[in-house]
Amino acid sequence: MTLHRTCDGHSRRDFLRVGSLSATGFTLANYLKLANAGQVQSAKAKAAIFIDLPGGPSHIDTFDPKPDAPDEIRGTFKPIETNVPGIRISEHLPKLASCADKYAILRGVSHTLAAHRLGAEYVNTGSRPLASLEYPSYGAVITKEMPVAPELPPFVAIPRGNQRSGFLGIQYAPMNTGATPQAGRPFSVRGISLGSGITVEQIERRHGLLNDLDQTFRGLEEREQLLVGLDRFHEKAFDMITSPQAREAFDISREVPSFSAQFGPDGFSQSCLLAIRLVEAGVRFVSLSLGGWDTHTDNFSKLKDKLLPELDAGLSGLFNGLSQRGLLDSTSVMVTGEFGRTPKINARSAEGGRDHYPRCMFMLMAGGGMKGGQVIGESDDTAAGPRHEGLKPDDAAASFYYSLGIDPAKEYHTETGRPITLVRDGSVIPQLFS
Amino acid sequence: MLNALVSRLNSKRAGLALAKLTVVLCAFGHVQAAEDSSVKLAAPLYQRFAPEGDKAPSTDEVPSFQKHVSPLLGRLGCNGRACHGSFQGQGGFQLSLFGYDFTADHDALLKDKRVNLNEKLESLILTKPVSDDEHEGGKRFEPMGWEYWVLRRWIENEAPYQSKSIQRLERLEVFPPEIQFGAKGETTQIKAIACWEDGSREDVTCLCRFQSNDDAIAAINESGLVTAGEAGDSHVVVSYDNAVVPILCYRPLSDKVGSNYPNVAAKSPIDQHALQKLKKLGIVPSELCTDEEFLRRASLDATGTLPTAQEVVDFVVNTSPDKRAAKIEELLGRPGYAAQWTTFLCDMTGNNEDQLRNFLPQQVRPENQWYQWIYQRVRDNVPYDQIVEGIVTATSRLPDESYRDYCSAMTDICQDATGEKFAERPGLVYYWARNNFKTAEDRAIGFAYSFLGVRIQCAQCHKHPFDQWSKSDFDNFERLFGAVQANQNTMSADAKRESAKMIEELDVSKSLKGNQLRKELGELLKSGKTVPFPELTLTAARSKTPGNKNKKQEVAVPKAKLLGGEWIEMDEADVRGKLMTWLRAPENPYFAKAIVNRVWAQYFGAGIVNPADDLNLANAPSNAPLLEYLADGFVQNQYDFKWLHREILNSDTYQRSWIANETNALDRRNFSHSQLRRLPAEATYDAVRMALVDDAAFEKAQVLDLPRAITKAGSSAQNAGRDDLSYALSVFGRSARESNCDCDRSSEPSLLQTVFLVNDAAVQEWLSDPKTGWASSVAEKFEWEKPATKSAESPGANNEQLERMVNSFRQRQESIEKRLDMARENGKQKQVESLKTQLNELTRQAKSFARKNGLQGQLKTLLGEAEEDKVGQDSPVQAVDQRAASEKAMTEEQALWVAENAYLRTLSRKPNSQELATSVDFLKSESSPVGAVQGLLWGLINTKEFILNH
Repeated sequence: MTLHRTCDGHSRRDFLRVGSLSATGFTLANYLKLANAGQVQSAKAKAAIFIDLPGGPSHIDTFDPKPDAPDEIRGTFKPIETNVPGIRISEHLPKLASCADKYAILRGVSHTLAAHRLGAEYVNTGSRPLASLEYPSYGAVITKEMPVAPELPPFVAIPRGNQRSGFLGIQYAPMNTGATPQAGRPFSVRGISLGSGITVEQIERRHGLLNDLDQTFRGLEEREQLLVGLDRFHEKAFDMITSPQAREAFDISREVPSFSAQFGPDGFSQSCLLAIRLVEAGVRFVSLSLGGWDTHTDNFSKLKDKLLPELDAGLSGLFNGLSQRGLLDSTSVMVTGEFGRTPKINARSAEGGRDHYPRCMFMLMAGGGMKGGQVIGESDDTAAGPRHEGLKPDDAAASFYYSLGIDPAKEYHTETGRPITLVRDGSVIPQLFS
Repeated sequence: MLNALVSRLNSKRAGLALAKLTVVLCAFGHVQAAEDSSVKLAAPLYQRFAPEGDKAPSTDEVPSFQKHVSPLLGRLGCNGRACHGSFQGQGGFQLSLFGYDFTADHDALLKDKRVNLNEKLESLILTKPVSDDEHEGGKRFEPMGWEYWVLRRWIENEAPYQSKSIQRLERLEVFPPEIQFGAKGETTQIKAIACWEDGSREDVTCLCRFQSNDDAIAAINESGLVTAGEAGDSHVVVSYDNAVVPILCYRPLSDKVGSNYPNVAAKSPIDQHALQKLKKLGIVPSELCTDEEFLRRASLDATGTLPTAQEVVDFVVNTSPDKRAAKIEELLGRPGYAAQWTTFLCDMTGNNEDQLRNFLPQQVRPENQWYQWIYQRVRDNVPYDQIVEGIVTATSRLPDESYRDYCSAMTDICQDATGEKFAERPGLVYYWARNNFKTAEDRAIGFAYSFLGVRIQCAQCHKHPFDQWSKSDFDNFERLFGAVQANQNTMSADAKRESAKMIEELDVSKSLKGNQLRKELGELLKSGKTVPFPELTLTAARSKTPGNKNKKQEVAVPKAKLLGGEWIEMDEADVRGKLMTWLRAPENPYFAKAIVNRVWAQYFGAGIVNPADDLNLANAPSNAPLLEYLADGFVQNQYDFKWLHREILNSDTYQRSWIANETNALDRRNFSHSQLRRLPAEATYDAVRMALVDDAAFEKAQVLDLPRAITKAGSSAQNAGRDDLSYALSVFGRSARESNCDCDRSSEPSLLQTVFLVNDAAVQEWLSDPKTGWASSVAEKFEWEKPATKSAESPGANNEQLERMVNSFRQRQESIEKRLDMARENGKQKQVESLKTQLNELTRQAKSFARKNGLQGQLKTLLGEAEEDKVGQDSPVQAVDQRAASEKAMTEEQALWVAENAYLRTLSRKPNSQELATSVDFLKSESSPVGAVQGLLWGLINTKEFILNH
């Protein structure tokens, strides 16, 4: 995926990491111990799926239509009724219209970062980015807070994504599948099946040897997250390889045809199918993404011909599939781009486009005890901003964590001991849980 | 300390006339050129426009739009991204983001009664920002405050602004120039003096914007008051007009400062500069690393290649006092050096095959030619400025070369897929032929990234928030890149005619166009026929620029402006020569710095300016004198790459140990000890590959006689994962070379990397390769029977296997316990801890194994028994010996040899006694000796010591 370099995407994080690591202070080893103890209050959700729409989808042309707005704002799409009376979305999302009872639409979500990278960092972490510190993304936090079976990766990104581990350290980074599954084809992540000619016994013995030999940097873990990360990866890799669980979960071709039939043939739909399998197997966090939303030019044909049909097929498959498997209640789903797009249609191309617009955007939340079939928040007549006090990405983040039994006000410490509140500036949206 | 004095002076006597302060500073010979104190310093705006009680200020001064009104709007936050700086404006009012687009901002203000010249006091910029209710952005200043009066006086005087009257800010002087804090919570007030080109000077502190690069170390508020936080160093940044000035703020980490600082020798200028900074921070550098560590580190950094086992042994026993310097010379003469730094330059210049798609006839691999072109120059140590000249001023044809001759030369060159012959051409045209170089903006941005280390792209749309660049700087710079073009259809007029003729002669169907034609030409080329090639062209820029206003001239010569440099006349189609002259001029502020800083970052894991490709004013170097020294020295030494490498590699600063002391453990940016750095993707692949092949192949690979990752030419996200090599490289973060950012390369570890090393089929294959595998060559040496390549056993199915497994656990447990007892007896506490950890890990594994195989009860019993009975047990070595006899396991002597050599070829050192014991135990306990060798190698390439350069 192309990394968008943006004007204010200036990163100055590698500052001198000196400071308050005092004798009485917090150490990494301590918090690893706590994490391992698994003293996390479990809420309804046991897993989460995060769907990133990088580029920033237009809110007006999707989940926040403004049929009564002037031409230069409304655009060419018409709204349609959904299966929930009173909720209307774009005509190019018919399948999602027929399962609107399963998800909540947040409208008038608002922030101020109009650059891709910063906006993406904001919605992927739930905290406004700081220059000196990188917040962990949801997936990293959940990896840390919700222990997973040893044979499974806690956090899978299909094929990769913007969910970074930030100051928590790389041991909480996702495992990237690197590729997108294809319909009906066996799918695997390279290297996770035990190689031919190697026996479990052999690999167990080798692993034992490795642990005996890998002593040079022992004792430095406290100041080097890198070392902790590498150790964690080794344990995980070893456990994963020696068990069939992971590879079976990844293989979407094992899915019953009647179930997989409800997904589209494209990569995004198949990734949604894979996400369900992974969650069903016990993976805690799956991130996937559907990109291409940066529609500065030719906004309408790009949406109508490609983006919306794919989103419609994939997401509706995901919601319905989770629900059929009885997983929707125990799986929190969040769908978001980094911002909305300008209400006013620009003239950069014949049919017009829309530019970056963080002041008004939409998000979807579903599952994990969050109530579907409702719209929360409202944008003004031209979808130029929230009509009343707007929701912030921070609020959505707080709710997402809450649904997973993680206290959004939990305090973490950076490598240098600096205390950081998980969600700095948000509160749980009560209507989601009413 | 001087700085403390200065800060104190400054904060205590805020009202002190600056002239005096400057004198104080000068007396210590510390501050940059103090200004002529005879020029009167204007008092701050907040004093001049302060209301007198309830009445208006007495001044009749008319505020300047550029100097006062515009910066005031910035300071008040009006032109921020969240407010009127947003691309869509706010409430119908749009200012340029971060300011400095004076004309646009002035126009916007005078529209829609923001400034109402008919009813001046009703101007919205006077009425709205004073009220929370009226203004969505809240109250920005007091109804009758100084800010109000500045705006009001400006409006009352008809809101004057003329684009012609824009003055150049010569300099923004800031005081104190750096701040040393003694304790958390201390504060210092920053003061900023604007020095304009007309000689006038003004205290503009109240108009500046302030930000901290790390507010945990030094927080700064909107008035410029700095508060000390944690110990360490960072910068606060002051912005006004187009100036951006960083101020170093630091608080020592230990009491080892001043006379308390221990005596540390500083051998080289690099060491002196590094030490100077460390002394300020109370950080004591680590000792020098061992010979083995030096050899491994320098070989990997300078040549991307592991040393051979023999090389390690020879180097360690060598007693010559300057053996490290001699080894450095040797390394810089190796092919690996050329390949390593060619890969580096290919990253910088964007050698991406996908970006070159469709440029040449099909099947030609321009990325190989690109690589070879650079490789041969790096190998021959062609000065950096000359290499860059060959890229920047590249033309397709030689002087006086006809189009047909050019095509025939290229046809010849393309017969050789390695691309080696292309190196003879003087110009690397492909740089300009990248698909992401289609527009002048693209080229300007890419050029600034490659050769200036500057991210100019922000200024494409608005004032750069962290640097001096305005949108017009960008536009004026971009114009330099308007003329040059290279794509599959570019050809000069004579070439077009000639090429049509050639196509006719070749009897190619006229209906073929585009890719079909390219395909056909590719076929003809393969059969040795001379085919037409596209060439780089230069079209004179059209004049629409603010250029020469001389009316006598009919057409003004367009002008462009070098970044931070002079205007140049675009009086010839190809101004790239002028661009190059500017680049290599010793006074160029970026060219040398950008490259020495990037090279430094390769050796230290962080640039002196970091990220290394972001030389902006706010992103200050962690050690400015060090960067200056290297950049100046590089220029004085005629851009001699090897001078730079030698200078770095020979310094103590580079050769420090990774073992930290109590003062420097947390330092990452001041080079007090060696950082653990994951090997780059290419070095990882090569190191794994080489560690697993036999000695002969190892040596061949070292001199690039075998294919290596550092000799792979192109890179692209598109082709990642096509084969083992590109899969591994993409997993380990090789640069995709696509977005003008050094961050295209990643050095972060990931789970998939571990999975690759632990279990990838490619690694397994290399381990067990009967032809070139080291294990297999060892088998030959000791005349063991070579193993069957495949094992027929299914995982965990076989009882015998399970039993062996259980035995193996027990043996390992016993071995550890035995050593644990010894360590306890000898009082080696550290070793005891380490062994305990091993024991716990073993138990964890045993449990995991038992769980998977349904053996919980059995294994527990066995381990339990072992624990209880250990006093009465045979020693594990004996136990193994018995088994060895029956299964022809390797002998003690063989095991010792294998262990030592396996260590040398992977970790570039001999094992210590504990490691040797563990390794020998393992080797002898394995049923198959070849499998045992493979197992040990596998273990070693999976250690952190292997993957982390240290």
